[in-house]
Amino acid sequence: MEQNQTNLLQGTLDLLILKAIGDGEFHGLGISRRIEQITQGTFQVKPGSLFPALHRMEEAGWLSSSWGESENKRRAKFYCRTRAGERQLGIETQEWETIARAIGNALKAT
Amino acid sequence: MKLWRRIRTAASNLLHKDKLESDLDAEIREFADAVADEKINVGMDPSEARRIALAEIGGVEQVKQAVRESRSGANVELLWQDVRYGMRILRRNPSFTWAAVITLGLGIGATTSIFSAVYSLVLRPLPYAKSDQLVSVTAQSPKFQLDVLVSPDFVAAQHALKSFSQLAGYWWANRNMTGSSDPVRIVFAGVTANFLPMLGVKPQLGRSFSDSEDRPGGPSVIILSNRFWQSQFGADPKVIGKSVAIDGREETVIGVMPRSFSFPNYGLEPDVYAPADIDRATSLSVNRGVMGIFTIGRLLSDISREQAQVELQTFLEARARTYPPAFGPLFNGRRAMVESLRRHLTGDDRQPLWILLAAVAGVLLIACSNVANLQLARALSSRHETAVRGALGASRIRLIRKSLVESLIVSLLAATIGIAIALLVTALIHNAGMSSKASTITYAGESFQLPSGKLSTLIQVNGWVVAFTVGLALLVALLSGLAPAVSSGRTDLRNALQTAAFRITSSREQRFLRHLLLVLQIGLAVMLLAAAGLLVRSFVNVLHYDSGFDPNNTLTAKALLTGNRYHLPELRRNFARNLLPRLGAIPGVKAAALASALPLAQVDGDAISFSDNPNPPVGLREIMPTISVTSDYFRAVGTPLFKGRAFDNRDTAASVRVAIVNRAFARQFFAGDALGRHFNIGQSDNGQFRFLPTTIVGIAENVRHNGLSEKVQPEVYVPMDQIPSEEVDFILRTSTDPASFAKAMRKAVIAVDHEQPLFDVETMNERLSDLVAQRKLLMLLIASFAMLAMILAAVGVFGVFAYSVSQRTQEMGIRLALGTSRSRLLRLIVTQAAGLIFVGGAVGIGAALLLSKLLVSTLVGVTPHDTLSFSLAWVLMTLIALLASMIPAVNAARTDLISVLRQE
Repeated sequence: MEQNQTNLLQGTLDLLILKAIGDGEFHGLGISRRIEQITQGTFQVKPGSLFPALHRMEEAGWLSSSWGESENKRRAKFYCRTRAGERQLGIETQEWETIARAIGNALKAT
Repeated sequence: MKLWRRIRTAASNLLHKDKLESDLDAEIREFADAVADEKINVGMDPSEARRIALAEIGGVEQVKQAVRESRSGANVELLWQDVRYGMRILRRNPSFTWAAVITLGLGIGATTSIFSAVYSLVLRPLPYAKSDQLVSVTAQSPKFQLDVLVSPDFVAAQHALKSFSQLAGYWWANRNMTGSSDPVRIVFAGVTANFLPMLGVKPQLGRSFSDSEDRPGGPSVIILSNRFWQSQFGADPKVIGKSVAIDGREETVIGVMPRSFSFPNYGLEPDVYAPADIDRATSLSVNRGVMGIFTIGRLLSDISREQAQVELQTFLEARARTYPPAFGPLFNGRRAMVESLRRHLTGDDRQPLWILLAAVAGVLLIACSNVANLQLARALSSRHETAVRGALGASRIRLIRKSLVESLIVSLLAATIGIAIALLVTALIHNAGMSSKASTITYAGESFQLPSGKLSTLIQVNGWVVAFTVGLALLVALLSGLAPAVSSGRTDLRNALQTAAFRITSSREQRFLRHLLLVLQIGLAVMLLAAAGLLVRSFVNVLHYDSGFDPNNTLTAKALLTGNRYHLPELRRNFARNLLPRLGAIPGVKAAALASALPLAQVDGDAISFSDNPNPPVGLREIMPTISVTSDYFRAVGTPLFKGRAFDNRDTAASVRVAIVNRAFARQFFAGDALGRHFNIGQSDNGQFRFLPTTIVGIAENVRHNGLSEKVQPEVYVPMDQIPSEEVDFILRTSTDPASFAKAMRKAVIAVDHEQPLFDVETMNERLSDLVAQRKLLMLLIASFAMLAMILAAVGVFGVFAYSVSQRTQEMGIRLALGTSRSRLLRLIVTQAAGLIFVGGAVGIGAALLLSKLLVSTLVGVTPHDTLSFSLAWVLMTLIALLASMIPAVNAARTDLISVLRQE
């Protein structure tokens, strides 16, 4: 599991973030924990990758953010998915499935 | 992401940077606290929890930096940081900055100036409609080196040639105009009716010529040039319909040419245009005169010049078969030429431009390598800083970029100076071109006063030139910045950090690079010096050429005896007869004479023959330069008569024909013994063209004509009374300053003919310096570039060794402490320098041998590998460079032992 933390496949981080946020609203740590949860702990996203990705996706218009209060009564920045983000999730899911199928077929081939 | 959105976000990121930063800070801190809270909640000690949380995150600052770098516009911001940092560094090292900026500025300025000339003369599209289709059409026979078609051929070609959509022609002549104010000499051009439309030119006032006006005996209508309209008619908008007298004929003004128009011939800018009025007959006959027509054509869009030339060649060969047999020998071996109009316009003399461009490129390279050396030296002294930046995580690319940005700033500053220099230089060239008697420019010999004739007035700095300069600056930045950048980017961090505390000598690799650049500089400087030496020697040779006459204390001028006041030879004889006594009577005039051509000027040829047949077949005729002179001519120009006598009042129209020949003529045709011998000169005799027997009464020293560097040709002088010319040159030999006689000369002419304009009043020495002006300009430019190169190279030597000495202070101190004498220290440095200087000189001599091949055509009296020029260049550069290396060497020898040892 230690190695897997860094071996997050290039390009899958956006997909995971968009999927993890779903229709909810999360702050950074929340998204990080949610990714761990939905991948059953296979992927741990480090803040050094997570925050640049979040800011980049916000600039791209896939996420929007607002300041609010966390469960521990602290000020925190919350992210939620925009409609463009939803579309992007669709696109990236499809791409991923294509790749996954191709790789699967390649491995099955003799 | 869409581009527009990206730009918008980048801009908003840059604008709201403070808010962005504080938000980011809050967000990451909150994240760290939240991670810590999680750990506290499972029972961890709070301070321990915070420590572990920070470790897990991997550093708050690092995360923040990662976010910053992912933002849009991050690169712009980094670049801005580099620029600000670069500016700060440059401000902190003013001596380096100034040295670099001025060095490069001079190099870029010189290159830009020469490029402006190259662009204006060679690259810029001509100012005519679809000018790439325009060509000049000529036929050159071995016997006649003329740029014209004879008029019957021209007329036939207009219909016959299928490669051209149009053929237009012109001829020109000097005429006298009276009627507006003072009588003036004008350049008069006859152009075919389709000439202006073909070039796509419309008069700014009035109209062009119509087809019906362009015929022999057609109406007398003229179009004025803009310049002439302004100078002679005060830019009168109601000039259309007015009439003026040209050579006594009334002509009606129907138009004024546009201001921007420039005539498509490099030596000619007519004042007045008229229809060409070419005879439409297409057959050539002995009884009918023909005209030489300068021909310009517009190619059909799918026809190449080569195809057109082939068609023209076939056409001319077919035409030659229809000529009467007498013309055969004149046109045998005729070669068709279809050349781009630009060549016709800028002349053949482009080589000086390429030579100059090569020379400035050399200077620029030296400047670049100088700056590169400065940068290398600086890179070395800031090695510690670079290493620290590297240790703190700056990537190699970032370090290289920092160094490149620095040289970019220097280059752009230098480009600003360069453009300023170029503006200055082109303004100077422009003014020189304007003041050069633009109103009386005539053909050939006299139009070479400036490089490329009248076109030098077109040289200017424009958008393309500025673009060239900016491009050049970028290239220079790359050239001068790359070596130091790569070398600093390659620094071994650990090594640099460890040794930075000590001042050590530079690495072998860097030293090699700097020495290589130094050798290159010295080589280039030696090459330019050698080229300058060749040109200076050629110039001196040209000036000291045995020209066969004495140019001192001589005043000259021209007049035209044309029009119906002078249509008979007797009228022209009277002019000379009445004028000469008046000129001779001016106090201080030692001798006065008239001639049809001055020394060094263009001479027309007459037909002569050595057979006794009064009408010999064309093949037995020779075309021989013939000059009509009055009796005192040889005294007036100072040409010694070698044997025999001068002309005198025995030699009249009625007496036996006599001639004086030059030594070349005597040697070629009579093996030197020509006195008293006979030959025949073709001339009009009672309205009939015949060859009249002529006796040689004298032999004169050879005099150069057609410029200074042409070989001496056999020539014939005849008495003005026997063959009176239409163009007369005045020659006054004076006892004092010749220029002060101009007024008295004009007065004498007006007393004889008050309508006679006198033009080109100049001393002979002025004429001489006009003739060598282009050569002088080229020589002066190359010489100044060579000096510049030498100084820059010397500065380079000084810089490299001053630096290496400053790096080796400690070594010097130790050497001294161990007992080396100071003079040995001096020798140590100078010997090292001498080695490099020697190698550089050798490289330079090799390069000069290559460059001199380019120069061959401009050299006079020296071989392209002239030992004197080459060895002088080598010696001079070596001495200067050694001197430059002495200064740091002396400093090294003066090293103060105590202070060096104390430093540590």
